[in-house]
Amino acid sequence: MYYEDLQVGAIFPVMKKDPITRVQLVRFAGASGDFNPLHTVEEVGEQAGTGIIAHGMLIMGMVSHGVTSWIPRKNIKRIQVRFSKLTYPGESIEIVGRVIEKKADNLVVAEVLAKNGEGDVKASGIFEANLPSRN
Amino acid sequence: MSDVKDLLGLELEPYSMAVEKGKIKELAIAIGDDNPIYYSLEAAKEAGYDGIPVPPTFLQVIEYHGGYGFQEKMEVLKLNPVKILHGDQEYEFLGDIYAGDELHVTSKIIRADTKIGSSGGLDFVTEESRYTNQKGELVAIARITLIHRH
Repeated sequence: MYYEDLQVGAIFPVMKKDPITRVQLVRFAGASGDFNPLHTVEEVGEQAGTGIIAHGMLIMGMVSHGVTSWIPRKNIKRIQVRFSKLTYPGESIEIVGRVIEKKADNLVVAEVLAKNGEGDVKASGIFEANLPSRN
Repeated sequence: MSDVKDLLGLELEPYSMAVEKGKIKELAIAIGDDNPIYYSLEAAKEAGYDGIPVPPTFLQVIEYHGGYGFQEKMEVLKLNPVKILHGDQEYEFLGDIYAGDELHVTSKIIRADTKIGSSGGLDFVTEESRYTNQKGELVAIARITLIHRH
């Protein structure tokens, strides 16, 4: 992937993730070390008034998976995400992205969204990648 | 809780943590990311990496396993864990991070304020963490913004 290959407005291929399962949330809790019980314990979810919700960082992990499927990991210099809606087990997340700016020093800026099947935006963000030139 | 503004400038206890390849793989599996660079040194080298790289969100693993856990962090920041939302997360990568590296982490609260909206008050607390490797190179900066509902 070269700096010249990406033009402003270019749309990246949609990355479709499998539906989120409760087992995945338990696995993610162990992997990440985020043991906030809101993500794994039914009663805590009820107490909070939301029910069990997915870790925001699982969604950002999926965003990053999408981004690094488009541009190699080593070229990603910055990624920032704002969480806008809660995500529940059973939802399937899609990652979409679009180039919004090309800066000097071979820096490409793109927006990225995590949406469910109904189009609700769960997280929105920006990433910056430094890409080599062809010549 | 006491005034959230008191948190501004608070420096958290520094810590160090090794980047373990097993933890990289475990996180990639949990996310459902099948990129072979996270699973195999050979695949990573073929793709042009000097070692097994970390997924962009891996620094969370360093934070929670090496530093404060979620509940501990909430106690230190005097925030009610049930009323916390993860508002925003940012990672800047200034250098490479590979399995086998040792990261030293220093963290500080760089924003602590309250906004009163139609649905009540919200506290915004941003913590910035700086990750330095065993060679003394600053390789990443993370910024997490927590939203605390009143």
